Amino acid sequence: MHKIWLICKREYVSRVMKKSFLLMTLLSPLLIVVFYGIIFYFSFNKDISDAQKTILVNDATGIFENRLESTNSIVFHYKSIELAAAKRELNSKKQYAILSITQQDSVINYQLLSNEQPSLSTLAAIEGKIEKVLKDKHLQGKGIDAGILKELNAISVHIATQKNTQSGIEKGDSGATTIIGFIGAFLIYFFIFLYGVQVMKGVIEEKTNRIVEVIISSVKPFQLMLGKITGIAMVGFTQFSIWVILVGLLSGPVASLVMELANIDASAIANSGKEIGAQSGKLNMLAGFSQINIPLILGLFIFYFIGGYLFYGALFAAVGSAVDNETDTQQFMFPITMPLIFSIAIAQSVINEPGSQLALWLSMIPFSSPIIMMIRLPFGVPTSEILASMACMVAGFLATTWFAGRIYRIGILTYGKKPSYQELVKWLFRKN
Amino acid sequence: MIIQIDQLNKRYQQHQALKEVSLSVKEGSIFGLLGPNGAGKTSLIRILTQITEADTGQILFEGEPLNPSHIYQMGYLPEERGLYKKMTVKDQLLYFAELKGLSNKQAKEKLKYWVDKFDIRSWLNKKVEELSKGMQQKIQFIATVIHEPKLLILDEPFSGFDPINAQLLVDEILLLKSKGTSIIFSTHRMDSVELLCDHIALINQSEKILDGNVRELQQAFKKNLFEVKYTGQTLFNTDWMQVIETKEKDGYTSQLIHIGLHLNPNQFLQQLLQEPIGIVSFQEKLPSMEDIFISAVQQKNLNK
Repeated sequence: MHKIWLICKREYVSRVMKKSFLLMTLLSPLLIVVFYGIIFYFSFNKDISDAQKTILVNDATGIFENRLESTNSIVFHYKSIELAAAKRELNSKKQYAILSITQQDSVINYQLLSNEQPSLSTLAAIEGKIEKVLKDKHLQGKGIDAGILKELNAISVHIATQKNTQSGIEKGDSGATTIIGFIGAFLIYFFIFLYGVQVMKGVIEEKTNRIVEVIISSVKPFQLMLGKITGIAMVGFTQFSIWVILVGLLSGPVASLVMELANIDASAIANSGKEIGAQSGKLNMLAGFSQINIPLILGLFIFYFIGGYLFYGALFAAVGSAVDNETDTQQFMFPITMPLIFSIAIAQSVINEPGSQLALWLSMIPFSSPIIMMIRLPFGVPTSEILASMACMVAGFLATTWFAGRIYRIGILTYGKKPSYQELVKWLFRKN
Repeated sequence: MIIQIDQLNKRYQQHQALKEVSLSVKEGSIFGLLGPNGAGKTSLIRILTQITEADTGQILFEGEPLNPSHIYQMGYLPEERGLYKKMTVKDQLLYFAELKGLSNKQAKEKLKYWVDKFDIRSWLNKKVEELSKGMQQKIQFIATVIHEPKLLILDEPFSGFDPINAQLLVDEILLLKSKGTSIIFSTHRMDSVELLCDHIALINQSEKILDGNVRELQQAFKKNLFEVKYTGQTLFNTDWMQVIETKEKDGYTSQLIHIGLHLNPNQFLQQLLQEPIGIVSFQEKLPSMEDIFISAVQQKNLNK
């Protein structure tokens, strides 16, 4: 035990003391926050980012006059002009585009003339406005009066979900559950990849430095492997904790800085939210978060976080031991990274059907369970399934560690030729 | 005896690495494990250092069956060796010392001894990659002996050493021996250990073919050859001597002469003095380890 601790300590200290670690740890949260700050800035500040587009409507039909609804980003003006005049208007950049509406018999033609190809969203927005006017006109033609029409347009539906659990009926929110589950799953995926590869590189480094035989004349290969995996896990935890804390500390000031820069106050956000019609959704989502069993999810997140890392870390260590240099790792990395990538790729369909057979089995198999279980959890998973999955995880971790340890003990002393899968299997059963 | 090995066998899949190897190493002596590459030397050493296990056979360390606690009594310099490049000299040496069972405090004391001895204080906070190859070799050696092992195992210790560091290594080995450390020295370069080793074992194709005291072996394998350097008339074969080789340079004649078994060196010298020559030097030519190895292998093959 003492030796594992020594190895773990060395792995930890030698990594944490590196300049690149400090830089990564301190800069990443800043980058994340700034990155989201920029997204935030643009999403709440469309009016400033996209200059307001003025569209001149040249309506020969007379149907649309003063009826197209202007928004913050698109404003409609109405004027009958000739093509030459229209070109002049565009050249002078006073207008973004000229919408010409003409009618031949019963067919109405719409043409948008502009200096640049308009974006799909702008086009869709204009088409929406036109369709609305036509629909309203049609409904009015059928005898529906303006009052009813207004009432019709005000109809907006939001489904509140509820969950039947043993302790009663709980309010649910699939937006919140999706987000929480996905963030958890993605963090685990990221952690396994980032630090699993570090384990592998560490093992390869010891092999290429030819230091490994010196070390294993003092410690058992298995101790060396475990010490390395736990040491790197601690590095990961340190880095993650610092990230969480820094992101928490930084996001406040950055948010207010962005708001000041963008010249928006909180009420403007509320207004813009209303305009998008998502405000009520957002509030519901916030309420949704409070409905989810946070302690359970957090506890299981930590469990699968560690379990998944240990499960894969051992495999990465085995790969590192089997080869002499990083370029040779590809062949062995593939079967390890496949289930990880597959799990993340299939996450979407698990979100759609968290109770399906596929989701159930993927959340049991330790290759995918850390990721898939995180996605399923917020939707509610029976305790028996959670316990079974956890048991599989522990068993899986023990199995891969044993498996990796067998390969590792032979691999670290084998130089030269890259072994085949057949040889790896032989190593598994070779006596020491 | 610090090490007694009895009928050791080790097999890797298709390959028999060691076959019925028995030998013993006396306390405070230097033991040479000699043989060509692939003979089984490293397999034997890896069993001694408990990196691998023997299939059958027994090893006693100071009379006790070998067990993991003995690792702390051993210092091992493998043929494939290295250091953590990004670690400082100080951290590295303390780490190795602690892995060998020293407490942090003990490790620091030992470190101080070696730092003063090799005068490397200014290197302590440097990373290994900043040091020259020769400096790294010194650090590697300190890492091997910092925990003051009773048994030091050196596998091809001189490979990669420049002559100055090689001499330094020899001096240190002799000093450790004088303090009572037992040393096992494994190499395929047999000539390098004749002067250093007290005992040797010759290993060829997984089997020990010969072992014993270096002087005794040389006596046992000597072929009554003498090197004689003289001036005057060149000697030819007689009934009591046979010239194997003749070289002439700067007016001197050097000859390698084989004498009959009925003569001892004194009698041979007396015979020579009766010849019309002026003797400059006279020396019995003892077989080198390599000669002994070749004869032993040939004998073994003849016996088969």
